[in-house]
Amino acid sequence: MSWAEIRQNIGEFFHGMAMAGYEKRLRQQFMELNDLFMLLCFMELVGLPNPATIYLLEVYPYFLEEFHVWHRRMGMDHSPLGNLPCC
Amino acid sequence: MRDLSKKRILFFGGKGGVGKTTCASAMALAASKEGKRVLLVSTDPAHSTSDIFEKPFDREEREVYPGLMGIELDADFEARRYVDSVKTHIAKLFSPSILKEAERQIELASTMPGVEEVALFDRMSDLIVDRMDAYDLIIFDTAPTGHTLRLLRMPELMSSWIEALSKRRRTLLTLNQNIDKVRLNPEQEDIERDPILATLERRKEKLDQVRARLMQHNFTGFMLVLIPERLPIEESARAAQMLREFNVNICGIVVNRVLPDNLDGAFYQARRQQEQVYRDEISRRFAEYSLMWIPQFETDVYGLKNLERISRMMRA
Repeated sequence: MSWAEIRQNIGEFFHGMAMAGYEKRLRQQFMELNDLFMLLCFMELVGLPNPATIYLLEVYPYFLEEFHVWHRRMGMDHSPLGNLPCC
Repeated sequence: MRDLSKKRILFFGGKGGVGKTTCASAMALAASKEGKRVLLVSTDPAHSTSDIFEKPFDREEREVYPGLMGIELDADFEARRYVDSVKTHIAKLFSPSILKEAERQIELASTMPGVEEVALFDRMSDLIVDRMDAYDLIIFDTAPTGHTLRLLRMPELMSSWIEALSKRRRTLLTLNQNIDKVRLNPEQEDIERDPILATLERRKEKLDQVRARLMQHNFTGFMLVLIPERLPIEESARAAQMLREFNVNICGIVVNRVLPDNLDGAFYQARRQQEQVYRDEISRRFAEYSLMWIPQFETDVYGLKNLERISRMMRA
């Protein structure tokens, strides 16, 4: 390992130490906002009227893709939700 | 009525049974006889344009009178068509496993209440935005007042709703970008390339286009049709008020089925006298608009002969 690599690794180590908490909070915020966004897009699934339902139909498959990525990332091979069977 | 001839879109609205369809058809005929390329669109679920023209209308544009095109919009059919178009659109983009689930969900969503109305509006938007090049004038014969006013407000409601969604989506994506930055990830996703955001913004753009055209006073006008009777007068006054609030231009009031002056007999005279009260009221309450008086005929208006008669009166 060269000096340059060692210096880079040390740099990244301290960057991680300093930023890990910040990143965690950002991720948390991201997930919360994402949940809210999903809810707004699919309000009628929980019984609230959504004026834009029909305009969101074409967006729907993208969410399915995101959902698929999510449940795989969570270590589940199959969808954990009965009413949203994915694979 | 001079400013009428400059309009590119005309809506005919009013209380049920006052003769909206007749007036809209006659106006379409009159404009077409002046050599304009005219499309007559019926949006009333109880279509009667085909009865007036004695010719079947279709869900697609077709010639209903020499030089005049007509179309009857069917909300159910438009909803179906919209759902199918979404399906074909996504079929190109996704893997079969996702498609199967997505199509199931789309089918489910298409049965929700309100979808037909939006689909109908969507079709009207297509005509207003995409078909204006093919016509000099598009005339919408609308359903009774309340329904129509909701339809006119739709772009505003939808556009603000979709704008809120796309703003949230943008916040999400920016947040995601920030996470990438913190992680020193060199591959940052381009926000503008997000398909969900792109779809939402495309939608919004179209809605705004429609809205702009509907509110442009020298482009779109609303004709209120009424008959000299108590209830239609009240309803038209309310409609006029609301249209002003939505900033839609009212380009004229058609007073339909006015009794002719040259009638004999005590009964007719009495009726005529009563009608005069309403006539005066209409002239007073709608003084700021140009009024068009269409007399009552000895027979019902259906079929081309009477239609041509009214259409001549409208041209005069």
